[in-house]
Amino acid sequence: MSSPFVFLPAAVCSMVDRRSTLAWIAGGFLLALVTVSVTAPSLAPHDPRLTTGIPLTPPSRSHPLGTNDLGQDVLSQLIFGARAALIVAAVVAGISTVLSWTVGLMAGYFRRAEAPLMAVTDLLLALPNIPLYLLVLTLLGPSRRNLILVLGLLSWPAFARVVRSVVLQARSAPYVEASKALGASGLFIVHRHVLPATLDVLPTKIVLTVRFAVFAEATLAFLGLGSAGTISWGTMLNWAFADPLLFERPVWPWLVLPPTFAIMSLILATVWLSDGITRARAGVIRRPRRNTSSQKVVAPRRPRLTLTPAARPRFAPSGRRRSCTRRR
Amino acid sequence: MVAALCRLLLRYAVLGVAVVLLNFLIPRLLPGDPLSFGSGEGTGPAVPLSGAAKAELQAYYHLDEPLSRQLVAYLGDLARGDLGHSIERPAPVRDLILDRLPWTAGLLSVSLLLATVTGTALGLLAGWAPGRRLDRLLVSVTGALAAIPEFLVAIGFLLVFAVGFGWFPLFGGESVFADYGDGRTGAVRRASNIATHLILPAATLVVVGVSAFVLLARDTAAGLRHAPWIVVARAKGLPARQVAWRHVLPNMALPILSFFGLRFGALLGGALVVERVFGVPGLGLLAYQALRARDYPLLQALFLLSSLAMLVANLAVDVISLRLLARRGVLHG
Repeated sequence: MSSPFVFLPAAVCSMVDRRSTLAWIAGGFLLALVTVSVTAPSLAPHDPRLTTGIPLTPPSRSHPLGTNDLGQDVLSQLIFGARAALIVAAVVAGISTVLSWTVGLMAGYFRRAEAPLMAVTDLLLALPNIPLYLLVLTLLGPSRRNLILVLGLLSWPAFARVVRSVVLQARSAPYVEASKALGASGLFIVHRHVLPATLDVLPTKIVLTVRFAVFAEATLAFLGLGSAGTISWGTMLNWAFADPLLFERPVWPWLVLPPTFAIMSLILATVWLSDGITRARAGVIRRPRRNTSSQKVVAPRRPRLTLTPAARPRFAPSGRRRSCTRRR
Repeated sequence: MVAALCRLLLRYAVLGVAVVLLNFLIPRLLPGDPLSFGSGEGTGPAVPLSGAAKAELQAYYHLDEPLSRQLVAYLGDLARGDLGHSIERPAPVRDLILDRLPWTAGLLSVSLLLATVTGTALGLLAGWAPGRRLDRLLVSVTGALAAIPEFLVAIGFLLVFAVGFGWFPLFGGESVFADYGDGRTGAVRRASNIATHLILPAATLVVVGVSAFVLLARDTAAGLRHAPWIVVARAKGLPARQVAWRHVLPNMALPILSFFGLRFGALLGGALVVERVFGVPGLGLLAYQALRARDYPLLQALFLLSSLAMLVANLAVDVISLRLLARRGVLHG
């Protein structure tokens, strides 16, 4: 039970670039958030669902962030909101990652599965996200389970394509051919030889999906599609904005600002962490980039066209240098 | 060129059919009966329908017939432009949508255009000298901006510029009960009133949309710096501005354009959310009101409309890039 709690942070730590301070701050923040959400019941000063104070009182000692229009404690809601956000993020990331890899591996390796799977992927990619979520969630009825299912089941296509493109490269690799010649079955090859090749993009996928899930959950809850029973940062904002005279009264600072900053810092933390990971991985792949920086190849404003060989490389960058420029 | 165009059109025709089919199937295959209110949790009108009213509604939407007959009826209605009748309001869905469409279309087109142009310009500036201070600043700022959901940016703008400084109105698309007077001056006054209301929503969408364009344009421009024709253009002494206009920008058109198609859907969703924050009476606010009232026909029509809009935008992008490719001679070689 405790092994993932030790292993996962250790694995993340080993992936992050040592020099990027932001990534470490972000990681610390996320760890703190996980702790807060695990210990939420004992940490929160009040029950977030009960009326524990006079409605709309400003921050005080018993209610450090004030109370909302129902007299519920804002700080307790914020703490329980962290729990909601992390649960949604984790489950959605799990569902979406498994689906992306299944579809990507199948479509990339088995030619017969390619056409139908890619057709579904393309169709889902062609649909506008927000209107689709609105329609499906309204039909299913807004609840946290449905929200998680919808986000998880509809967010896999982009990375299914990425995984497939990696598989297409790995499929023609000599070691796959050798394994095939030895009589290995398709599933065995996919599991043993192709899957490891795709794991490079796994951290990126997880971080991006976590970010997407927090993003989407907050947006949908803000639009009123959060479940009525659970408290999340998005629903807090939705309740605040349900009041048409919100900004005419001096109550908005403690109703709007806490959830806003909470969502923003969670998303920024995931982004910084993913930046740290990408930077570390990029460093592994092209370490010499800094020395052969392409900045050195700058044509003078008024070049003198001399035919001395010394002048030539300044204008025509060598192949080695050109390979360092990033291309899309 | 013609063959490629035909293939493209065929692909989009298939996608269009699939979108329409999906729009038909989603409400019918998902669990949950739109006509039994109050069964699930939520904020819908919890008054159950009487048996007769339910039967009448089922007959109106052909819900009492087999699926194949329903499909035929649905396609027939669609061909006649009948999108159903709103549950909440006494009006056909089509009229409701046409009433609100100009707001969203205007907001979306202005902000998409601004986001693309400024994003390309800033990206070019950053990519012109990668690694310099301007580049690092732009990349980190836009990277952080891309991480913030639209509605948070909207709330931030609202707090700073409408609540804090009081420069812009808090809510709505235009002043209620305003008397603009007659004739030309009245129209101008009304337009300026609408513009002051729409500046903040449009600015939100531009800020959210611009970051992705900056990053893409920056990478493209940085990658182009050492293309042979750019080196030649610089070597023959062309001023930097001409190099940018004549040699770099045309080559950035293709990636920016295809990215435009990708971002269209995201900004469309963003517009829906931003309208809720600022109370702009467009399709987003309509969708928000529809989902609060569980107005399924309206939501379904909005989904169909937005997915078709996305298809059309992508088709236009693909046709234009096909032309660009043909001019480059890629299709002939």
